[in-house]
Amino acid sequence: MIRTELKRGTAELAILSVLEQQPLHGYEISRRIEQDSAGALRFTLAALYPLLYRMENRGWVRGQWETSDNGRRRRCYKLLPRGRKMLAPLRAEWADLFRAMRRVAKVNHA
Amino acid sequence: MPDWLAYVNAHLDRLSLPEAESLQVREELAAHLEDTYLSLRAQGASESEAVRLTCDQVSSWQGLCRDILSARSEAFMENRVSQLWIPGLVTLFSAYVLLALMQFAGLRAMSSHPGEPRGIVLYLPWILSLPLIGAIGAYLSRRAQATGWRVYFAASLPALALGVLFLLISPLAFVLDPHVPLSIKATALAAGLVNWVILPGIALCIGVALQSLRKMRGAHS
Repeated sequence: MIRTELKRGTAELAILSVLEQQPLHGYEISRRIEQDSAGALRFTLAALYPLLYRMENRGWVRGQWETSDNGRRRRCYKLLPRGRKMLAPLRAEWADLFRAMRRVAKVNHA
Repeated sequence: MPDWLAYVNAHLDRLSLPEAESLQVREELAAHLEDTYLSLRAQGASESEAVRLTCDQVSSWQGLCRDILSARSEAFMENRVSQLWIPGLVTLFSAYVLLALMQFAGLRAMSSHPGEPRGIVLYLPWILSLPLIGAIGAYLSRRAQATGWRVYFAASLPALALGVLFLLISPLAFVLDPHVPLSIKATALAAGLVNWVILPGIALCIGVALQSLRKMRGAHS
């Protein structure tokens, strides 16, 4: 089980990665991350939105209200060029961390 | 189905954001709770179970409120630097370095009462260059998404800074030099305000207005 601290650190990369595929609203972001990580990463509302707002303020993502066919209004988040630029260094950073952990803790590939 | 917006409103009453922003946050959180609830129901959870699990999305509303405000205030601080202080310091530095260079090059001030402290003193080329400096400040401030008073503040910082300096120094001027008549001190102070605060301020604001016009024309074309 991945511990909370590590999960928090992965949050930005996880959100940017799912938004790289397509714009999504908050609930869809949390569902997609949960599905793609086979349930290892879960974002509650309380964890997700402060992070999304912070990323929006930094110009990484932009939220826009959209009305679906059933009349529900949802705020859809789209990855901005500045957020896309952040993906490569974040991925490299995490790859370095995992390589280091594999060496230190003798953790094997899954 | 529970009224999730009412539920969020009841728990986020301490979210001290501007009205419109606060409404958006509440609506967005309520939509998330609604989606969670509907998904749980679709997966076969009972009404009470779905409500309970949905409410578990937030363990501490106070903590959530604090985290949202912290995320927003981070933006406010970042915006203040990029919208106010960086453009403001650029205009301040440009205006006074330019004046120093002009004086170094031998520029003489035009005075309505030469040799007296009460006259209007104009460094005409400097005053004429201030709209350009104001326009640069306005451009930098608007580029950082600033609007309204923030643009004017950033662009007119050279005049505002001297205005503050005058306010701080003027009480001293009335206390020191008791043999100088009060009327002369008051006139000199008023002249100083006009020369270094009001006229430069107007020139800098003209620059903001010109930059606005240019921006509007750019948007229309």
